[in-house]
Amino acid sequence: MRAALGVLALAVGTSAAVLGIATLGLGLRRGDERLLRNGRRYVFVVLAAAALAAAAMEWALLTHDFSIEYVAENNARATPLLFTITGLWAALEGSILLWALVLGGYLAFMARRFRERATDPLVAWATLTGLAVALFFFVLMLGPANPFKTLADVPSDGAGPNPLLQNHPLMAFHPPMLYLGYVGFTVPFSFAIAALVTGRFGEGWLADTRRATLVAWGFLTAGILLGAWWSYEVLGWGGYWAWDPVENASLLPWLTGTAFIHSVIVQERRGMLRVWNLSLVIATFCLTILGTFLTRSGVVDSVHSFTQSAIGPMLLGFLGIVAAVGIGLIAWRGDRLRAPGRIDSPVSRESAFLANNLLFAALAFVVLLGTVYPLLAEALQDRRLSVGEPYFDRMTTPIGIALLFLMAAAPALPWRATTGEVLRRRLLVPAWTGAGVMVAAVVLGARELAQVLTFGLAAFALAGIARQFAVGARAHGVARVVRSNPRLYGGLVVHVGVVLVAVAIASSSSYSTKREVRLRSGESATVRGYTVTYLDSDRERSGQKTTVSAQVRVERGGDDLGVYAPAISTFPNSTSGIGTPSVHTGLREDVYLTLVSSPNERGRVTIGVAVNPLILWLWIGGGVMALGTLIALAPSLQRPFRRREPTPAVGLRRQNDEEREPVPV
Amino acid sequence: MTRRLLPWLGLGLVVTVTLAVVLWPDGAPSDSARARALAEEFRCPECQGLSAADSSASTSRAIRADIRDRIEAGQSDEEIRQAMVDRFGESVLLKPESGGLGLLVWGLPVAALTLGAAGLALALRRWRRQPAMHATPADEALVEQARS
Repeated sequence: MRAALGVLALAVGTSAAVLGIATLGLGLRRGDERLLRNGRRYVFVVLAAAALAAAAMEWALLTHDFSIEYVAENNARATPLLFTITGLWAALEGSILLWALVLGGYLAFMARRFRERATDPLVAWATLTGLAVALFFFVLMLGPANPFKTLADVPSDGAGPNPLLQNHPLMAFHPPMLYLGYVGFTVPFSFAIAALVTGRFGEGWLADTRRATLVAWGFLTAGILLGAWWSYEVLGWGGYWAWDPVENASLLPWLTGTAFIHSVIVQERRGMLRVWNLSLVIATFCLTILGTFLTRSGVVDSVHSFTQSAIGPMLLGFLGIVAAVGIGLIAWRGDRLRAPGRIDSPVSRESAFLANNLLFAALAFVVLLGTVYPLLAEALQDRRLSVGEPYFDRMTTPIGIALLFLMAAAPALPWRATTGEVLRRRLLVPAWTGAGVMVAAVVLGARELAQVLTFGLAAFALAGIARQFAVGARAHGVARVVRSNPRLYGGLVVHVGVVLVAVAIASSSSYSTKREVRLRSGESATVRGYTVTYLDSDRERSGQKTTVSAQVRVERGGDDLGVYAPAISTFPNSTSGIGTPSVHTGLREDVYLTLVSSPNERGRVTIGVAVNPLILWLWIGGGVMALGTLIALAPSLQRPFRRREPTPAVGLRRQNDEEREPVPV
Repeated sequence: MTRRLLPWLGLGLVVTVTLAVVLWPDGAPSDSARARALAEEFRCPECQGLSAADSSASTSRAIRADIRDRIEAGQSDEEIRQAMVDRFGESVLLKPESGGLGLLVWGLPVAALTLGAAGLALALRRWRRQPAMHATPADEALVEQARS
């Protein structure tokens, strides 16, 4: 019944996508406005179908309908309500369903936002492209990734979700956030394809998709950081990022997406980089598909590759088609894409954006290469190799530091050209602030190059941002400074978040202390000024899981910081125990406790004690980045929304754009 | 001119001296730092994606203990790496080799970044030589037409 409803919804969604594509295609061919207006309506049918299918799956999960294979594998009668609901994204088939639902939502938003321009070929082509992507995911679900496959022998109870996925409430937020980010890039991608097909690759499509791109980027940022948080709170090794292929897969589109958000500004201001921007958007979309392929086809071993399946070839084929279409269209339009741009000086805002893009592209390349290297080694030389932290740290740290430097210096550079006087006025004090912090760090004992540079550049960036806010406040008044140019100040707030994240990463990666202590009940040990006392342990059964937890009192200099309970849980569907760390969170440092082994016959436990500095600022930095994204989305007071028509050739733009300079010089 | 440059020169000096202090070699690393650095290079064989330094699995503890013993016995880093490869196979190494196929993964990004930077420098030169264009009355008329 539920399975039939689900399959029916999927069939409806598939047909709606096909009909929508056919209607829009015919309308575009014949120039028939009625067909174009009708065609876009199928988007809402696609959304309704995806929502119905997802609802059918949730219904099946909530009623423990084990006749559906997916439910039997990812749910059990004893699974708690929260993890029954999150079962929708606990494995491959459900995740694809969530993907289709989110995509339907984005497409419906797009169709609604552009309802008055339904007959505009750009919008029609974008809708058609979006529907084609949706069609692929619906076909995937009707074929190899069918979430509603039924079982002939209905088991009396299901296996339950993967133990790692039913251990922390963050599981309810991290995957949907990530998908809202991943899938959101379909909107700028669809418009990029539409711009190429219609030949309108001026700045029109960029203005049309600016908000959607920012929304997707914001969700992706939040999703990645929530994933890091989940990893820190659940996996129990004391870190938050392991350069796991799944983590890399989420980082890749973020890197190219971030490059895009910056280079768009150059095209808007100077009309340059058209090919580059189109390529970045298409690459970002390709990387989301590649990420899904890497993580969901079981092609690489990783904590997250919970499933092995036959959908790998289909995803790879889709990736090939998307890449071929993108490259083909760019090659076809190549002659018309060239813009007569001009860059006057290597020390200018636009040059800094170019350097930013080069570095982000290099970073994406390093991460991609490191992730696929084991596959290459296996394919080329039949060797099993691994790549991990030593490689990624060595390669990404210098690029990251160069990006921090750009982030500190570039926002102060004027467009076009600069003078020594401007540099002195805008950069000298922030740069000296950074140098002062570097000296202070070294005096206080910091001896690692990457850390010292990160702290110095972080201070440089913060001082520069403070200066820009001060200048803005002088011009617009303190209360209106952000609203005077939300895009600029929102971006700067995001930069503050990046600074916090960078400092937290630099501190926690080299100033953490980690020890294992073996204690009997009542015994204490001291790790970096914290005294941990093992009090007692208990064993508890709830639902499917059996949990052994140890009560540990944490004290510092006589202050009682409370009793924490690191635990190990075992589940019937997994042989190894799942550790649950318990963390005393502080603004300055965390005390991270893990139960390494349960009490032995003599009542001794092994407790892992790690002291990690400034971790909390990683999550605060993420929050600040999200806040900055929200600010950047707000409408501007100064420049009310105006619809941009496809911009004529760039040479026509005004030579003097000083009055649009957001910060008065 | 020099007076204008003075604050920048001072900044350069301070940064250089600070970095020199940071980079000044302070003797050979301690045994425990060496052990930690080596453990970070090996994959925990029974878990996925974590290094032997980060994981608390029993094989990882064994690897860490083994590294400490070998360092005490006076083995070099290279000997210890070889011993790990002999026992667990080459997939235990998290750091790609510096020759052979490893050249690809270490060298390609560096080559790409260098080429990209060179290309950017060339493009900047070309862009700078391009004459600045001014709008003609005909262009302005076109814009007006498009905007109306």
